[in-house]
Amino acid sequence: MSSASSTLDELTQALRCLPGVGPKSAQRMAFHLLHRDRQGAERLLLSLAQALEHLRHCDQCNNFTEQAVCELCSSGNRDARLLCVLESPADMLMMEQTHAYQGLYYVLMGRLSPLDGIGPQEIGFDRLIQRACNGSTEEVILATNFTAEGEATAHALGVLLRAKGLRVSRIARGIPVGGELEYVDSGTLAQALLERRPATN
Amino acid sequence: MTSERSIVYQEEAFVLHGIPWKETSMIVEVLTAHHGRVPLVAKGVRRPRSALRGLLQPFQPLMINWFGQGELRTLRTAEWQGGIPLLQGHALFCGFYLNELLMLLLKRDDPHEALFLEYKQALKKLTHVELFEPVLRVFELALLRELGYAPSLEHEVVSGEPVDPHRTYRFDPENGAVQWNGSTGPDVVKFKGKTLLDMAKSNYDDPGTLAQGKQLMRILLSHQLGHQDLHSRRIIQELLLS
Repeated sequence: MSSASSTLDELTQALRCLPGVGPKSAQRMAFHLLHRDRQGAERLLLSLAQALEHLRHCDQCNNFTEQAVCELCSSGNRDARLLCVLESPADMLMMEQTHAYQGLYYVLMGRLSPLDGIGPQEIGFDRLIQRACNGSTEEVILATNFTAEGEATAHALGVLLRAKGLRVSRIARGIPVGGELEYVDSGTLAQALLERRPATN
Repeated sequence: MTSERSIVYQEEAFVLHGIPWKETSMIVEVLTAHHGRVPLVAKGVRRPRSALRGLLQPFQPLMINWFGQGELRTLRTAEWQGGIPLLQGHALFCGFYLNELLMLLLKRDDPHEALFLEYKQALKKLTHVELFEPVLRVFELALLRELGYAPSLEHEVVSGEPVDPHRTYRFDPENGAVQWNGSTGPDVVKFKGKTLLDMAKSNYDDPGTLAQGKQLMRILLSHQLGHQDLHSRRIIQELLLS
């Protein structure tokens, strides 16, 4: 590949570390930053350096924060008896948007993925167990994804947490709110039928 | 490359593994009855409103169409077939183990219809049996047999005589059962003739067969896998120990 210089080469190579960015996109980004938006590039440089220097994982919930314990965990007006386990910070934002949950969180920053070699050690199960056994947690809500990997993660965590005497629950799955059976995918419908619950008044 | 390879209609398939690819796509390795293991690009499948999002999960029978001529072909449609409940709990980890074996041992585009049926059967059993190990052993042996890596369990190599259930044998992964000559040592693993015969009939009712069968399959599999480690096996062990 012919290129203007090795510095440019290095930049495109570096940009490829981003998920979903191949050689073409990386080149496009590099040209854009250098030619069209040098200010943007400066800003990117600064904020990246800042983030790398100041952001760390919260001691309590493992999410990104600048302090030892993040704002949400230290706020004091959350229900410390509930701990909701999620795969990613994006999941946590979504959870907060529901305004339906007042407890605390733990973000795994991943999920078990046996074929990729990601096991309990790679995810840091022991840190979650430690967090959940801090004395104030009564119920752990497993809210990992309903993918095969998310389910496997929930199962493994469930076993470990129950062994510690904690109450463990799993978020429900089924027909979405406002869902019409005619338009729901068959897999979801089949599972909703299998996991049906007694009708209450 | 033949033209009939360019489009495949209505093929039953299971997703073995998926990895994110580019911004919104995924590369899935599927197991099919008539085309073996095939890598497919599922374009746009990671978009929030993609119809296939959530469908390309392992352990669920799908009916798929694909096209393309290179090694990496393109998934066109996938329909959920149903008939196998979602694997739950420990069965899920067993499922991952089966998938990993297939990913490591089965070459791409090497069709084995019988193996596909064995896989489907194993998944079905994993959804309801209490003992998972016999299901795993039966599948492991079927996999090695189908790929031509499993020596006979019913005949002694040197003499060609049928294996005697009351005699003791060693097992050479390349050749098969050899009558045990009384030698001992760390490398000498002995098997009862009955174990070998039970395994040949997929009968694991005897706990002794189950224990020795696991040992034998471990030897046969690691002979084929060489230095490659099975991640899923390690992870299952880590979880059992923690």
